[in-house]
Amino acid sequence: MERTILVRYGEIHLKGLNRPFFERALMNNLRDALRPFVGARVERRDGRVYVEGVAPEDEKAAVDRLCRVFGVHSVSRVVGVDKGLDSIAAAALDLIREAAKEAPATFKVRARRSDKRFPLNSMELAAEIGGRALKALPYLKVDVHRPQIMLDIEVRERAYLYTDAKKAVGGMPVGTGGRAMLLLSGGIDSPVAGYMIARRGVAVDCVHFESVPYTSGQARQKVIDLATIMAGYCGPMRLHIVSFTEIQQKLYEDGPPPLLTILMRRFMMRIAERLAKKRRCGALITGENLGQVASQTMDSLNATNAVVSIPVFRPLIGFDKAGIMDRARQIGTYETSILPYDDCCSVFVPRHPATRPRPGEPEKAEAKMDVDAMVEAALSGVETLDIRPAENEW
Amino acid sequence: MIYLDNSATTKPFGEAADAVDRALREDFFNPAAAYSPAVQLHTRIEKGRAQMLRTLKADTGKLVFTSGGTEANNLAVFGALSAMRGRDRHVVTTTVEHASVAGVFHTLEENGYEVTWLPVDAHGALRPDTLKNALRADTCLVSFMHVNNEVGAINDILALSELTKKHCPRALVHCDGVQAYGRLTPNLSVCPIDLYAVSAHKFHGPKGAGALYVREGVRVAPLFMGGGQEGGLRSGTSNAPATLGMLEAARICYRTQRELVGRLSGCKRALVEGLAGIGDMFVNGPPPEEGAPHILNVSFLGVRGETLLHSLEQHGIYVSTGSACSAHSHMESRVLAALGIDGERLLGAVRISFGAYNTPAEMPEVADRIRTEVAHLRRYRRM
Repeated sequence: MERTILVRYGEIHLKGLNRPFFERALMNNLRDALRPFVGARVERRDGRVYVEGVAPEDEKAAVDRLCRVFGVHSVSRVVGVDKGLDSIAAAALDLIREAAKEAPATFKVRARRSDKRFPLNSMELAAEIGGRALKALPYLKVDVHRPQIMLDIEVRERAYLYTDAKKAVGGMPVGTGGRAMLLLSGGIDSPVAGYMIARRGVAVDCVHFESVPYTSGQARQKVIDLATIMAGYCGPMRLHIVSFTEIQQKLYEDGPPPLLTILMRRFMMRIAERLAKKRRCGALITGENLGQVASQTMDSLNATNAVVSIPVFRPLIGFDKAGIMDRARQIGTYETSILPYDDCCSVFVPRHPATRPRPGEPEKAEAKMDVDAMVEAALSGVETLDIRPAENEW
Repeated sequence: MIYLDNSATTKPFGEAADAVDRALREDFFNPAAAYSPAVQLHTRIEKGRAQMLRTLKADTGKLVFTSGGTEANNLAVFGALSAMRGRDRHVVTTTVEHASVAGVFHTLEENGYEVTWLPVDAHGALRPDTLKNALRADTCLVSFMHVNNEVGAINDILALSELTKKHCPRALVHCDGVQAYGRLTPNLSVCPIDLYAVSAHKFHGPKGAGALYVREGVRVAPLFMGGGQEGGLRSGTSNAPATLGMLEAARICYRTQRELVGRLSGCKRALVEGLAGIGDMFVNGPPPEEGAPHILNVSFLGVRGETLLHSLEQHGIYVSTGSACSAHSHMESRVLAALGIDGERLLGAVRISFGAYNTPAEMPEVADRIRTEVAHLRRYRRM
């Protein structure tokens, strides 16, 4: 008897001729995710991915880790035995006993065989094992519609049995959908937005704007920590840190106060787009959410959108704040996001920010500035950090 | 780099760091063991203990080695009160104590003690007449700091302790000496202080070491139960590396105290002179020449302390804020508020604290940098 972990992937099956490409990406990401589990091997057989060589005491942690890899649909701990009916029955009883914990429970056995030479067909095998289980464990009852315990048996080159299928994050393997640049602020929304796009198979780079001396090293560390949490799902990624102080001071001196936030956002978008092109990103991602703050009204979004030509993904646009917070808690970024360090957006906040900039208004204000030179200057000081998932660090 | 946050921690003396290193690599023994290298280590520590006790001019009494200032303060107050036999439940402290003392008194309050929190004067010092009015027949412990860590106010510990003993002979006097030891080391043969706490890393020793002086005859109950080290007052395998580092730092401070204080006050004087003429600048706490030689707390109106801190940081100058503040949370300084400081002056406070590695010669550069940064930041007053 040996134990292995079975990884099922969902949506990839939809992808006709591209399928090998998606599978390769998934395999690579799985290997990367399992790096802390020394000795773990990822193998593909019969259109399934199996993970072998995980120490029994690490199995639960490995399953949890695999469940966070985008593209994985569900994960099961599997017992493999030889194809004798007695060995299958013995393994089945062990698994059911473990799942039922000696308490009354309903169960169902489901069998499949790809080895058609196996003497029993699927229905017969399920009935046989179910019968033996009922006889051996009197506290069991059969329920074929909504069983509490579902025992699966698959007969292939060996027989594989499992009871638990842990639901994973789903989505598509990171890297199969190109790359995009996330504007990561340090707040609650942007990590969630990045997560959602990464889950569609997109590799994410992050850009963060800081305003030293108005923002501190603690604020920077917070953003690094957020990116590190995201890397737990998205894999290793790059974080670009842009010093934004000079632009903010220039806007403060020369820009009309109500427009400060919108002008600032326009500069951020310009810089992010430039970095995106350099890194071959096909889009920008923001955590913007319609109506949340003055710079996120439809008019303001139009004004900030106008300065870039690549698509801007705003996956949170129609969410409400509570919904975003719930997702941030699920992902694990919430507690870090709410640490109280100023970010560059809370520096020089106008008393009465414009919520409905008139068309042409921001352009008029910018006409007095050397916009290109300001963007160039900011780009020349970009610092790029490599972010790896925390568990890969040691 | 010009490091001016010596009230937060100091860079260890090279000799102190060497002593720690040697103890870690070579003399790694448990000083309680019976073979000769361990016995020699034990002997060195005990000799050092006696010498350090002498720096406090204490011929009797004992010095208990702890993990630092916080533990020393906790052991002093909790330990002394729990060893008391009487029923008295009135204790006295001030509103400007360090968190390791204030926290202890808050806990005492929750546990049925009556705490009198005494106000301080506009410079941050406790006045003897304020203390006098608070003393009662059932007062069993009085605690005040020697030097305030935020503004550098120096308490008249002789007057305060004598006054306490005069009116409440049975009350114990605890003094948090963390910011004073090594610079303003007290004479405990004259001052009737019963418990005096120090921390090694504030006087160029290593982190993780501190000491509590306990006057002869004063009973203290331990906080930790275990192997009975430190005369039963502090169980736990003795931290020989940190202790030897502390003893080395204490020795250097003792030998060079006069020179050290001269250097610290020279730095302070030079910086104050360099800052002269900056408009809307306020010194918080005592006037520079009256406060501790190593602490200067100043506010520049219109500039947040935190912002100035980070802009000096960009030029390799490290200071601290009197009050950390952000748009989301206001953690204003309790001490400055107790001194009646508020508004822009409270938000603008920065604490500049000097150490043995600073020189008066580098202060003009610091002053010029502050002048430039303040002028620059004042152009962008935040809305």
